[in-house]
Amino acid sequence: MVMEGPFAPPRDQSWSRVSPRLARMRRTVLVFTGVPVVVAIAVACGLASSTLAVVAAVVGAALIGLCWMSIGRNLRSWGYVERADDLLVTHGALFKKLTVVPYGRMQLVDVEAGPIERSFGLVSVKLHTAAATTDAKVCGLTPDTASGLRDRLTQLGEAHASGL
Amino acid sequence: MGSEPPAPVEAGASAPVAEGTPAAPADETFRLHPLTPVALGGRILGVVAALVLFNLAGQRAGEGGGVNWPLLAVYGGLAVLVVVRGLVTVAVTRYHLRGGELRIDSGLFLKKSKRVRLNRVQSVDVLEPFAARIFGLAEVKVTTAGTERSSVRLRYLSLPAARQLRAELLGRSAGGDEGAPEAPERPILAVPHGQLIGAVLLEMVSWRLILLLIGPVLATVGQNNGHRATAGVGVVLFLWFAVLIAHSVWRRVTTLWEFTVTESPDGLRIRHGLFSTSRQTVPPGRIQAILIHQPLSWRPFGWVQVRMNVAGYAGNANSKSTMLLPVADRAFATALVGWVLGGVDLESIPLTRPPSRARLRCPLWWRAQVAGSDERVFVARHGLWSRTMDVVPHERTQSVRLTAGPMQRALGLATMHLDSTRGPVKPRAANRDALEARAMVDRQVERARAARRVSAGAPSGPAVAEATPSAS
Repeated sequence: MVMEGPFAPPRDQSWSRVSPRLARMRRTVLVFTGVPVVVAIAVACGLASSTLAVVAAVVGAALIGLCWMSIGRNLRSWGYVERADDLLVTHGALFKKLTVVPYGRMQLVDVEAGPIERSFGLVSVKLHTAAATTDAKVCGLTPDTASGLRDRLTQLGEAHASGL
Repeated sequence: MGSEPPAPVEAGASAPVAEGTPAAPADETFRLHPLTPVALGGRILGVVAALVLFNLAGQRAGEGGGVNWPLLAVYGGLAVLVVVRGLVTVAVTRYHLRGGELRIDSGLFLKKSKRVRLNRVQSVDVLEPFAARIFGLAEVKVTTAGTERSSVRLRYLSLPAARQLRAELLGRSAGGDEGAPEAPERPILAVPHGQLIGAVLLEMVSWRLILLLIGPVLATVGQNNGHRATAGVGVVLFLWFAVLIAHSVWRRVTTLWEFTVTESPDGLRIRHGLFSTSRQTVPPGRIQAILIHQPLSWRPFGWVQVRMNVAGYAGNANSKSTMLLPVADRAFATALVGWVLGGVDLESIPLTRPPSRARLRCPLWWRAQVAGSDERVFVARHGLWSRTMDVVPHERTQSVRLTAGPMQRALGLATMHLDSTRGPVKPRAANRDALEARAMVDRQVERARAARRVSAGAPSGPAVAEATPSAS
């Protein structure tokens, strides 16, 4: 927890966390794609030698386990705070990021949900400014939270709008 | 109305404004210049003409019997098609200036109507591609704030009409009266030919000298060992690289030829080009960020280059339009940048270095990655050999980011990025102490907010300048 400092929420505030369903969705996707791949590789190795197949299976299982755990870490790393003048978004477990977007700089707010996201009842909200590098996306929100956030953001954006 | 409105049509649709009529936003409807088809199809028509001439010359030389009529008919048909397509474009395209709005209606079957709100205009360019320039035509390109397809091109108008339209657009975009005459200009800098050629040569050749040397080395080695194939490869390589480099030097010199910067009430005017010329006008306060770059090979001469981020000038196709000064003396460039940003003294801003443990992440260059800010701007320098200085006024900051990868976190470092509109300037303070970086982020956010409040009323920038840097 050495790095908690620089990526800490603003004083007297705490991160709003995203829905744990995000991790469940990612883990489901991981199991449904990772396991068949590992099995296929293990079977292919099994044609050559059975020890190789065991090694492949163990390594594959270990990798899946690692991904499983990192999904958990990644989930806990997501957070956002709505302040009076700007929105703070943080995410990333290994590569940490913190973005501060002033409401007055928002050009548009995107609400997106892909088919897999939808089946898990998740939505993501993305903020665009005039800069292409602005990386302000909040994944894994429930539809209610997302539409509430979107409405508040668009309102605040209009109130603060200051051109470019 | 000024002198000659550009090619007015349908006098009924827009009542001509009499001298001294009160300034109710006049509606004006215009058309493209009738010579447009020739200029639009310039390249294709040129190729067709060349093919026809080549063909006729072949026949004259007496190779085949008689003229190859079917082939000529195909070429002629192609030319007619190109011209007809252009004529249709001219016939169906109309642009209307209505109050604070420019509307362009086009399309024969599929009608298109595009509206541009003039208070959102980021810049207005008058471009003269070579094919158009021959006929005295010019394109007017209006860039608005937006990420994609944010520019509107009017191809082509006569040059006086284009300039008149530009003045009109800029006048209206600043909220002024319509029918503004062209604003007077005051020269700031004209890049001398010799300096431009020298600078481009130095910049283009520099490390590519190694490529140029491969050939002669190979040739000498081959010659000495009596291995003719190697020698031949050497000669070919040398010629190949020489042609490549000469081509890039030529292109750069011709686009940046006669580069002049002038200042007028409606913004900075930038003009350049030998065959195809371009005249850009960037209204005050539209420059989002600026960088001063010094390639290694320019250091003995003390020359620098200045480039800028302007919203809408994105992508590589437009990279030349991000140039503010292709080459100038360092002191002059620094003074100009300070003045463009509304009177900032860049040299007086305190800059700090990353902590020395950053050398593990960034061995030699960590020392050069200095950054700092004052009440008006954020400044960052980087590069040990080729040096770059990025400058962003606080009120133009879009968003602020803090990032830290695994290695940076292990060392307790983080990087702060200021997000600007797309362009050459990507300002950041790299590899700072993590807590210091966070403090910088918070301070930057605070300063940007304060600056936005201040600039909310009047746009900043050199609208009315008291002191201009004088060329040394």
